[in-house]
Amino acid sequence: MARQLVLRLFSAALLLLAISIAGFALLRLMPGNFAEVLLMSQMDGTLPDAAALARFSAENGFDAPLPQQYLVWLGNVLTGDFGRSMVSGTPVADELALRVAASLKLAVAALLLALAIALPVGAVCAAFPGSLLDRGLAAFAVLGMSIPNFWYALLLALLFSLALGWLPSTGYGTPAHLVLPTLAIATSVCGILARYVRGCLLEELAQPYMRTARAKGLSSTRALLTHAAPNVLPAVLTLTGLQFARIFDGLIIVETLFGWPGIGRMMVEALLARDYPMIQASFLVVACGYVLVNLAVDYAIALYDPRTREVV
Amino acid sequence: MVAAAAARLRARLLRARLRTRLRARLARRRSGLALAVAALLALVLLGPLLAPHDPYAANILGRLAPPSLAYPLGTDAMGRCMLSRLLYGAQLTTLSALAVVLASAGLGTLLGAVSGYFGGIGDRLLMRLCEGVSVLPALAVALVIAGVLGLGLQAVILALAAVHWTEYARLVRNAVMIERSKTYVLAAEALGVPRLSVIRRHLLPNILTPLLALGSYSMSWVILSFAGLSFLGLGVEPGAPEWGRMIAESRNHLRDHPRLVLVPGLTIMAFVILVNLLGDALGDRLRAGRTNYLTTRS
Repeated sequence: MARQLVLRLFSAALLLLAISIAGFALLRLMPGNFAEVLLMSQMDGTLPDAAALARFSAENGFDAPLPQQYLVWLGNVLTGDFGRSMVSGTPVADELALRVAASLKLAVAALLLALAIALPVGAVCAAFPGSLLDRGLAAFAVLGMSIPNFWYALLLALLFSLALGWLPSTGYGTPAHLVLPTLAIATSVCGILARYVRGCLLEELAQPYMRTARAKGLSSTRALLTHAAPNVLPAVLTLTGLQFARIFDGLIIVETLFGWPGIGRMMVEALLARDYPMIQASFLVVACGYVLVNLAVDYAIALYDPRTREVV
Repeated sequence: MVAAAAARLRARLLRARLRTRLRARLARRRSGLALAVAALLALVLLGPLLAPHDPYAANILGRLAPPSLAYPLGTDAMGRCMLSRLLYGAQLTTLSALAVVLASAGLGTLLGAVSGYFGGIGDRLLMRLCEGVSVLPALAVALVIAGVLGLGLQAVILALAAVHWTEYARLVRNAVMIERSKTYVLAAEALGVPRLSVIRRHLLPNILTPLLALGSYSMSWVILSFAGLSFLGLGVEPGAPEWGRMIAESRNHLRDHPRLVLVPGLTIMAFVILVNLLGDALGDRLRAGRTNYLTTRS
């Protein structure tokens, strides 16, 4: 088992390395000379002459071979130095910390809400397949796959904020501001999650051990909760980890729409303003975050379920 | 005793025959449905011919007009015909999504086939890469790639293909792994057919059906992502008749003229549902009697 875990860790490290190279290449691959673009932004948009450009390149090490530049850059990033924003001139790392905190708040709230809806609904649908709730869930899941999430978030704002006036549509700070964005993201993933919980549970309910549990006198509810549910937990946990990526896709849209100062909105703003250090930093943080979340999910499952320890 | 058993058997046979007939009828109905949906999509592609107005023609005096005979869906904040813009948008969306699907299917098939056929360390690395990409939030990565490539339509198409090809690579790789040990491949190899020709002439035609099914399934994701990126301001230029962009540009009128936001959104949703129905119908027809490479593990 230890060998498997080390192997898994190794492949995660390899992936992190690939991500860092991609993040570094991001700035070198963009149209135009990176040093020139950077210098131009510091000189308020005037085109630098060749001598100034050469001096600037030499000062900042842009004339060194690329592998050497990569190592220097990687060292900076690992010590928390992401450079300075090309728009505001402030260190990217400071801004990043605030943004990540805001996004995490939203993402965790959305995930918890999605699970709070999906787990009971999925369980009830598995217990009563073909019921009204079950058919409703199927329709809801199909609808969730076909609805543009930015439009759906706008509809929520239209209903709860503009028409009913219950909730603020943009802003950050009070719990009321958290409600609409959380709702928008959570409802866009809970349909799939609930359908998955239902499918897994249905499979378990058909197992012989469930008949044994019923035969020894457990009520069907108790048998489902104490025998079937623990067995589907690893599979549900895996999907939840994967849904985290979907939640982030939702974050980009929802943060932009509701004025939430998170990393998704930062990414969009940086892209539209061509603020390359910001783009690079947000890409690195998000990508590495996902590799680590999935690694954590795999380890959690291995700890919980002895059967999967061999394959992790 | 014997008579009763014979009667039971007859009843069972009858039921089985009825079931077969029912299934055949269902299959026919499904192909009818596929035909209807395909016809509808073709109509959508011909949209520009049906559009009553120029989608770019602004008419400031007639801005924000409610639906009328001349403007069946009314006009937007610039006085442009909503219906014409939606019809042009259908073509733009469909062609862009097709480009993404073709590009990612092409790259994924090439890498997946070679990787699955030759195996080895390259195969393992490719699969790790595919796993890694599939874990990342696809829209975010596409956003970054498109932004760095230059925000244009081609940049968005390339970016979506760059995050999407791994699904095809995985499918084709698994399919090739399963097919390559079958006798027709072994026979071709024994006859001395060059290895790349084996892939091209024997393996690829045999895995075309699951590939087509995946292509039609993934269209809906591509369409939604494309609209999402346009909504955020990437891809098409401002003022272009693209559905996501239309919604973004009408956001400020959400309170007073919700129609401007509701109608394009409903259009996207209806279009995606149509594409999904087509994919389902196609998948059902193609899957009959085939190995399901999506769930088969190698």
